[in-house]
Amino acid sequence: MPFYERGDVRIHYEEAGSGFPLMVIPGGGLNSTVAGLATSHPFNPLVEFNGDYRVIAADLRNANGGQSSGPLAIDRPWDSYTDDHLGLMDHLGIGEFMVLGFCIGGPFIWNLLQRAPRRIVAAILAQPSGFRPEMPDLFYQNNIKGWGPPLCERRPDVTMAMVDAFLNKMYRANADFVFTVSRDFVRDCRTPILVLPDDVPAHPYAVAMESALLAPNAQVSLYPWKDTPDKIPLAVRHIRTFLKANRPAPAAR
Amino acid sequence: MPFYQKGDVRIHYEEAGSGSPLLVIPGGGLNSTVEGLKTHPFNPFDEFKGEFRVIAADLRNAKGGQSTGPLAVDRPWDAFTDDHLGLMDHLGIGKFMVLGFCIGGPFIWSLLQRAGDRVVAAVPAQPSGFRPEMPTLSYDNNMKGWGPELCARRPDTTMAMVDTFLTNMYSKRADFVYTASRDFVRNCQTPILVLPDDVPAHPYAVAMEVVHLAPNAQVSLYPWKDTPDKIPLAVRHIRTFLRANRPAATAQSIAAAAQ
Repeated sequence: MPFYERGDVRIHYEEAGSGFPLMVIPGGGLNSTVAGLATSHPFNPLVEFNGDYRVIAADLRNANGGQSSGPLAIDRPWDSYTDDHLGLMDHLGIGEFMVLGFCIGGPFIWNLLQRAPRRIVAAILAQPSGFRPEMPDLFYQNNIKGWGPPLCERRPDVTMAMVDAFLNKMYRANADFVFTVSRDFVRDCRTPILVLPDDVPAHPYAVAMESALLAPNAQVSLYPWKDTPDKIPLAVRHIRTFLKANRPAPAAR
Repeated sequence: MPFYQKGDVRIHYEEAGSGSPLLVIPGGGLNSTVEGLKTHPFNPFDEFKGEFRVIAADLRNAKGGQSTGPLAVDRPWDAFTDDHLGLMDHLGIGKFMVLGFCIGGPFIWSLLQRAGDRVVAAVPAQPSGFRPEMPTLSYDNNMKGWGPELCARRPDTTMAMVDTFLTNMYSKRADFVYTASRDFVRNCQTPILVLPDDVPAHPYAVAMEVVHLAPNAQVSLYPWKDTPDKIPLAVRHIRTFLRANRPAATAQSIAAAAQ
């Protein structure tokens, strides 16, 4: 069970396969873990893509049920997670990579594209999270109940007051769109993007389609793509095609 | 304006760009012409000539087109497929990809059946198919919209011949995609990208049945052309699909060097 360590941050990650690197960000909100890929996702990228790519996924820092830990970065919640994503790629000696993120992976991908655009060759946002005006406090409420209490229980250095401040900064301070970037950023982002929309409360279809229509090099899967099991392979084939078309030629690496 | 000729068949075609060959089959039923591509949701010449060698032809005997040939009453679908494959032969093209609108869907399945080893990947866009609730739609449309004008300019063609041709083409093959069986589609390993539609001649149910049967199929967003802003999303999907499936550049350059 490999770990990447940097200061007081310790990130558990797993990898499978070889080839051009594909970073996978599991869904599950702040409880996003590698183990979750096998149990709660429509498909498991570690299984689907390890024949062609070096697939890497990590437990989110401080996710309940995961093995990653680190400080609660109250002043920069999104960026602290992105530090971990980029730091892990550095640790593995990876420069350019592709990224596939579920749910909370959507906002993380936009943050990665903002912080390290030249390293991200292509990005896939599967059932991405986003702000839903009719349920403006959804993420704060979900996490203050589902993430904060177990974290405080196992981490004496973390209080619910800190969790409250962290979630306020993460979800209430910039309660719009994809949380991490502006519409102008998306409009100017030339990176190839594939969006697989969803429409549960935390994954608004409207935001998924708005980002797909704004981003100048975006495309979108069929929708719905996971309401019946027979549609999921269609979406996976679209993803596989997208990865193949966008990975750099071996000579260029 | 180039032509491919074989016996009494004369096919007008156009091409643009360079790279892996992409055969485009315009929509418009039996009046499918290169010119008609300008009225399609997007024009593959404009979209793909920067990366691919795009080739399209007027269908034999299409109204408004320049292609002519006998009315192959006994083998209507195959006669058109002869022209598609003959044109590729004429251009010295072995393997190719194919993108077909509307009637291009059934033609693609005919090509996959006749020359599965040459068709590297296929994109049926708004494909035609049989709709049980409108069983004579294609026959009726062409008896009115194709036959009379053809007979008027071709004294060797009668409406009785047109009737037989359309009966053999549509009425006697009134199921699914007309040209191939479900078993054929189920066993077809070629990468397929379907862009469904749902006007009377382009049944959504058949498009999706194909997608679920074909083991290497994928499907675009749907609807993809109800608003102009969605069409580029579908075109990017197609471009990605073509890039991922074109024969490796190294294989092409080796072949080119050998020539």
